[in-house]
Amino acid sequence: MKFFHHVDRTSRLFSGLFPYPLTSNLPVFPTSFVPVVFFLILSLVALEGCASHLSYYDKLSLSLDQGDAEKADQIVAASKSYYGSTSKLLYLMDRGMTLHLAGHYEKSEKFLEEANEMVDDLYTRHLHNEALSLLVNDTKRPFRGDPYEQVLINVINALNYARVEELEEALVEARRVDHRLNVLADTVEEQDYHDDPFARYLSGVLYEANGDLNNAFVAYRNAYEAYQQNQTWLEVPIPHRVKLDLLRITQRLNLTQEHAEYLQAFPEISWRPPSTNDQAEIVVISYLGQAPRLEDRFIDVPISLDALALLLYTKPLGRGQPQRAGGGDAVLYGLQGEIVRISLPRVVPQKTHVEYGQVAVVREGNQETHRTELMENVTAAAKKNLADRLPSVTMRAVARAALKLSTAEGIGYGVSAVGKDDETRNLIHGVVSTLLKVLFITTEEADKRSWRTLPDKIHVSRFSVPSGSMTLTYQSLGQHGERIGAPVEYPMTLQPGETRFLTVYTAE
Amino acid sequence: MNMIRQVSWFGVVLSVTVFLTGCATEKRVTRVDTGVTTDLSGRWNDTDSKQVAEKMIGEMLSRPWLNQFATREGRQPVVIVGNVQNLSHEHINTQTFITDLEREMTNSQKVTFVADKSERKEVREERADQAIHSRENTQKAPGREIGADFMMKGRITTIQDEADGTKAIFYQVDLELVSLVDNTKSWYGQHKIKKVIERKRMLF
Repeated sequence: MKFFHHVDRTSRLFSGLFPYPLTSNLPVFPTSFVPVVFFLILSLVALEGCASHLSYYDKLSLSLDQGDAEKADQIVAASKSYYGSTSKLLYLMDRGMTLHLAGHYEKSEKFLEEANEMVDDLYTRHLHNEALSLLVNDTKRPFRGDPYEQVLINVINALNYARVEELEEALVEARRVDHRLNVLADTVEEQDYHDDPFARYLSGVLYEANGDLNNAFVAYRNAYEAYQQNQTWLEVPIPHRVKLDLLRITQRLNLTQEHAEYLQAFPEISWRPPSTNDQAEIVVISYLGQAPRLEDRFIDVPISLDALALLLYTKPLGRGQPQRAGGGDAVLYGLQGEIVRISLPRVVPQKTHVEYGQVAVVREGNQETHRTELMENVTAAAKKNLADRLPSVTMRAVARAALKLSTAEGIGYGVSAVGKDDETRNLIHGVVSTLLKVLFITTEEADKRSWRTLPDKIHVSRFSVPSGSMTLTYQSLGQHGERIGAPVEYPMTLQPGETRFLTVYTAE
Repeated sequence: MNMIRQVSWFGVVLSVTVFLTGCATEKRVTRVDTGVTTDLSGRWNDTDSKQVAEKMIGEMLSRPWLNQFATREGRQPVVIVGNVQNLSHEHINTQTFITDLEREMTNSQKVTFVADKSERKEVREERADQAIHSRENTQKAPGREIGADFMMKGRITTIQDEADGTKAIFYQVDLELVSLVDNTKSWYGQHKIKKVIERKRMLF
């Protein structure tokens, strides 16, 4: 009975995959080839292995938790082979970030520049990887990074250049951010992630530091609009700093109408034109905590498009409307009624305990303090990006599971042909197909790769100071004003008109 | 029965696809002439730098300002290269481009080319060192440098457009010759390069 049931189901599978009968055109597949297929599939399973991502990232995370970016970088550097060829981009990104956090800005520039080039190259997909991902799991595809991660490659690299006072080169990264976001906006749906207000704001700061006030104004305005338009997922209130900078730059450019409009739009800001005599500027970029990690979420799915639609509606996985893929539809149609196990990625936040940072500037015995302000919530961006791509990830996972299931059944039947009677054949078929199903389930794994060395949040403090010598002290503070981490001191001498960029990292 | 064969065939086709398309590519190194144009990534490269320098300096030296200066002053103009700003989307090593400009000017024999600020500093240090350590008859005296008549300044800008894997990059190089006497601009040159980079969505 089982034998006939199986034949019936595979018939339906292929009636879905191919709209016309293949049997009349295809040569008969010799039974002797069946063990070969079996071997090939087993080889793939063996190649896949069950390597755990935890041990490596646990070590890396621990070093970052301890604020030891130098050690974190050594761990990443020593683990290049761990990333493998499919995650080379992730290696470059992790290496670029740990070097940046460790203060090796010029080395970090090289890794992030290579990462930037690789993102472009990865536009081209290779059939080998796509086919392998259909047989094993999505980790067999090259890591391309989510759009927010691709934008942050340029943002972090811009800060690398800004830290070593190469503003012209930092502006190259700002232009790349603009181009990347423009291309993204043309490519994705309007409700999908397509803008990064912090990246826009930072571009404005860099343009202004380089004396290009027109482009700075455009960037601040784009940042303000991006904060406004993406409030549903950003988890960042529109920063005061952006409003202040819009008022300041419109006044400097004598854009009286725009200045008046912003004054009206920001009644909470008490505007006072800043002093410009012999002033220098300090921009403190504060990285807080660690970016979220992705973990597996196993779900048993009955194979049918209606069930899949229900899954996407009822589980908080993403937007309601699943995207229908032609091939996926066909496979699912052929396996109606079967239950398969799929694994989908989910975001696990690693929230920082820091509420804000305090920057104290001591100059000739006088002290003034400034607070940092939240500008970028990386965890929120990760959630948004995953939600955007989850419908297609889910469809691919279900299609893959269906293919694995049908392949296990098919091979089970093929191998069973060596049996002498029906009873033996049924037994062989049962054992082989069950064994294969178990092996296929063990290879099912969500693509959990993400840029985990990024921070959870990015804060900014920007203020003018009279030029000259001073000491700046940064301290992270918790929700109740408690100190988190050790204070960091920066003695410095600033020239009139100079903009000095500082980056600080608090792991907790 | 036929359906089962198809299942096996499908598995074989997919597996063979994986194995065949996964073959490693062989690394090959070919030595080529430095004059050969090699457009690999589409980014600004040595060929762009060399060609733009050749064309722009050639154009500069064919303009009337050169003869006008020679007639008025009775000598070749003395030129120095200042800064070439990178306002593009790429990290262009402008120093390489400046060196190409300097080489073209020097080899033209139509202008006298003097060392820039950092080079002058090094030369002056050497001269000061000679004053202490060299034999008197071989020492070079200070105050005999030739001051430049013109400074060449410029910028490299790009405009990018991209859709569906095809990227168009438009480079514009602007150079100008500013008189150090009165800040007048004696020559303004512009050179444009347009590149289209096409990437395939899928490769076997």
